[in-house]
Amino acid sequence: MNASAISIPHGSAGHDMPHGSGGHDGDHGHGDHGHGHVTLQYQPGLPLSRGKLIMWLFLSTEIMFFAALLGSYVVLRFGAAVWPKPHHVHLSEPIGAFNTFVLICSSVTIVLALEAARVNKAGLAKTWMLLTLLLGTLFLGIKAYEYQAKFSHGIYPWAPHGLIHERPDLYYGSAVRARLGEPAMIDRLKELDDAPADSLTAEALVARGRLQQVRKMVANPDQQAFDMAVVADQVMPLPAEAADHHGAGHGLNDVFPWLRLPMVIPGGNMWASTYFLLTGFHAIHVIVGLIVFAILLGYRLNASRAGMIENAGLYWHFVDLVWIFLFPLMYLF
Amino acid sequence: MMHDHDHTSAAHGPVTRAGETADDTVRYAEASHAEASHGAHAHEHDSHGGIGKYLLVFLALCFLTTMSFFTYSAAWPWKDQPQVGWAFMMAVSCTKALLVVLFFMHVFWEANWKYVLTIPAAMMAIFLAIMLIPDIGMRNRMVSQERALHMARAADLRLLEEAGAASAEAPAHAPAH
Repeated sequence: MNASAISIPHGSAGHDMPHGSGGHDGDHGHGDHGHGHVTLQYQPGLPLSRGKLIMWLFLSTEIMFFAALLGSYVVLRFGAAVWPKPHHVHLSEPIGAFNTFVLICSSVTIVLALEAARVNKAGLAKTWMLLTLLLGTLFLGIKAYEYQAKFSHGIYPWAPHGLIHERPDLYYGSAVRARLGEPAMIDRLKELDDAPADSLTAEALVARGRLQQVRKMVANPDQQAFDMAVVADQVMPLPAEAADHHGAGHGLNDVFPWLRLPMVIPGGNMWASTYFLLTGFHAIHVIVGLIVFAILLGYRLNASRAGMIENAGLYWHFVDLVWIFLFPLMYLF
Repeated sequence: MMHDHDHTSAAHGPVTRAGETADDTVRYAEASHAEASHGAHAHEHDSHGGIGKYLLVFLALCFLTTMSFFTYSAAWPWKDQPQVGWAFMMAVSCTKALLVVLFFMHVFWEANWKYVLTIPAAMMAIFLAIMLIPDIGMRNRMVSQERALHMARAADLRLLEEAGAASAEAPAHAPAH
């Protein structure tokens, strides 16, 4: 009796059978199937639904995943001899704070969607869900804009595009010289030198003089250590303070975007690696959340879907949680 | 015999019940129905919060975000001691995280299983970060000469700042500023 209670064929014998029916020993099993009503009884080990349990288990692995990333960032940052200030790498604190606000708002809207679904207001739940989707998209849009600002300043996490040098030393000087000596660059520079003064804007005219000086400095065999710092400051100055816009937008790379000269940001390469890794993984999580919301929007969000909305919400709050730590660590430290 | 049955199902979770009378089936159906309605009732009961509470948490989160942004503003009095700002921001972030977890993720109203999942994960997370310190955090204590030659130092930052100050002072050099 006890054994027959579990009518799932177990052991290798059951798997090998072509049709499975041979696995049943005796009429008893067949008789059960004949009744046609097989009742399943679930006895949860924990007082919560299975979906929610799985979501929380998943989130606990996510805690460790992001703790490893954030922990690595903190340890790398404080173990580094130099770490760039946020304004050295063109991070905008107000934009970061605004994005934090956007994510917090989206956390509220998803919570309100759940509450609406619980009281069976499907239309209202859908409105809140749609709003959450829009806020998440806004967050991603702002993030993309920020990435674009980094890329346009030559801050990339990988080598072929990255223009960041760690020190204004002789290696830096020779990298600038090598870039200026590229055949295409020689043509562009000649074109710039020959351009009549009235065809250039006032700023470009001044920048042309600065560029000529930089070319002289990197070509000079008797250059001093300080000269390379001057070259680096001309190519892409490090803003002294966020409030003070010393040289912001006036670097040679800003005035002539085609130059793409190597620039110096002490600690900038490690910064770029960690910044893009952390915010990138966070952005992937945001994208996954948006896909989930888009799928949920296809359903009628009444009380029977409250569990689904709750699980999606749990995930979304976790994404918000990660950003709560990322924002101060990245933008304000 | 019936006792045995219950025992197995409790141990194995979902079980296909076989060899039962119609009465048994009905009984189970009723039981599960009762359980479901009880569950729904319980849910209503701990339908906690209400929208007012969520909005209160939202306002607190906005206020705390403004607070951590405050460290960036000119009014922050501890500009020369970054450690004060770091400690302050981490305290603010932990408070925000706690608010989100407790109220938005409903952990405040959950049963004790919450500790089973969150405490080990949090401990693992902390150990993970601590384990990185010797190899990564202290990586610059002992470096080869080759590496020391190429890695940035605080002196480089000073050099660049001096160059910036010099070019700002000499208008002939960089009049654009």
